[in-house]
Amino acid sequence: MPEYWIGDVEGRVLGPVSLDVVQDLVNTGRLTEITRVSRDGRNWGTPAGFPEVMTLLLNAPSPDALLQSERGEAARVREQLRAMQGRPPHEIFRLDRNASVDAYRNAFFKLVKRFYPDRVRAQAHPDLRKAYSDAFQFLSRLMVHIDKELSIGVTVSPLPVVRAVPPPPPGEDEPLTPIPAPPPQTARPLSVVPRSMTPLPRPSPLVPPAPEGPYSYQPHEFVGFERRDDRVEVTIRVTARNSRMFTDHPLANLKTDGFFLACAKSLPLGTLVDVIFRFDEERREVRSRGRVILENTGGDPTRPSGFGVRFITLVDQDRRFMQQFVEKTAAH
Amino acid sequence: MSDGPILIVDDDAFVRTLLREMLADQGHPLREAENGHDALSLDGPPPRVVLLDLFMPEMSGMEALALIRDRWPDTRVLVISSMDSERLVDEALAAGASGYITKPFHPMEIASAVERALDS
Repeated sequence: MPEYWIGDVEGRVLGPVSLDVVQDLVNTGRLTEITRVSRDGRNWGTPAGFPEVMTLLLNAPSPDALLQSERGEAARVREQLRAMQGRPPHEIFRLDRNASVDAYRNAFFKLVKRFYPDRVRAQAHPDLRKAYSDAFQFLSRLMVHIDKELSIGVTVSPLPVVRAVPPPPPGEDEPLTPIPAPPPQTARPLSVVPRSMTPLPRPSPLVPPAPEGPYSYQPHEFVGFERRDDRVEVTIRVTARNSRMFTDHPLANLKTDGFFLACAKSLPLGTLVDVIFRFDEERREVRSRGRVILENTGGDPTRPSGFGVRFITLVDQDRRFMQQFVEKTAAH
Repeated sequence: MSDGPILIVDDDAFVRTLLREMLADQGHPLREAENGHDALSLDGPPPRVVLLDLFMPEMSGMEALALIRDRWPDTRVLVISSMDSERLVDEALAAGASGYITKPFHPMEIASAVERALDS
């Protein structure tokens, strides 16, 4: 099999790989800036000296063709999602009917990876972005549903489907089946103030009592952001009312090792975050590190704006404390 | 080799940090290298598992994979790459990788892949 080494502008090298692999990577936009090519890993030349590689580069899909292909991919993802909806979870994840929650989680991470929203290139067709996002959310909600059912010892059932979806007319992009949404929230965007301008809030008669009813974040509950070299430090005052940041979001919650902060400011996906939780009532501070795994800047009207973080480091003792805190506040 | 480390080989310091943090709780000794040359010149016991990027300067991940398999035949190599061509996965596995994890990855996925590699 012919072997190729490919170099890019940053001096990185991929190889030896077959020309088929180079073709795959060029056609999917993964390899865009090939600066040098070699057949033995030692003697290098410009791509122009390798007609077969130049052919690949010249035949790389045009932006229009790429968009067209992404529309096609979006339709396939919709079809796949449609096929998954209503099916028993163990069939979706190709597991035994009595699989453990760990087996479900492993299978979930493998399957959901295909639909990570950040796998879509920035200029991708909006249909594809939407289709990935819907599939990602469906699987995430399904996993939360599985977690809940297995935790109470019942057989895992399918997620209810809101309505049956007829097949789309040929060539027509049809919106995806709505995924059962959680109860509506009235979360109000939270104003974010630089830490330097905001003294650490203390409970005070000046702070209005939190209203009864659906939860909404209050500005005084939040301390602030501080940008550091390669990360953002977020300090959050945790109260009984806003402890729902650990439970409400189907993907970013304490059971999935994360939390969702509903606020006006969003952080880009992938941002490394140092989080300091201040539990005023317990007089305790928990520090952890995480990464932004989802953001909602208003694109999903069923959920509040904000961002979700998954913990990278969280001490077991702190995790237990937070779990107990959530359970205690939920009981009241 | 039972006391060998888990070796992270990636030219991106951010990814190395991320992997280190993800694996810190597992209690295995960890070492890092930013390219294949540095990985192969490390002294001490052979690594039990290598987490290897494919697209790196100095020496490509595929070349490093061949040399690692040659030098440390009992070491398991897990390729971690953003390049998710199925044919590239096949070629990496044919070259001796024990597994192929595409970026972005999830902490549990990394931890369970490493545990499986350690058990195999």
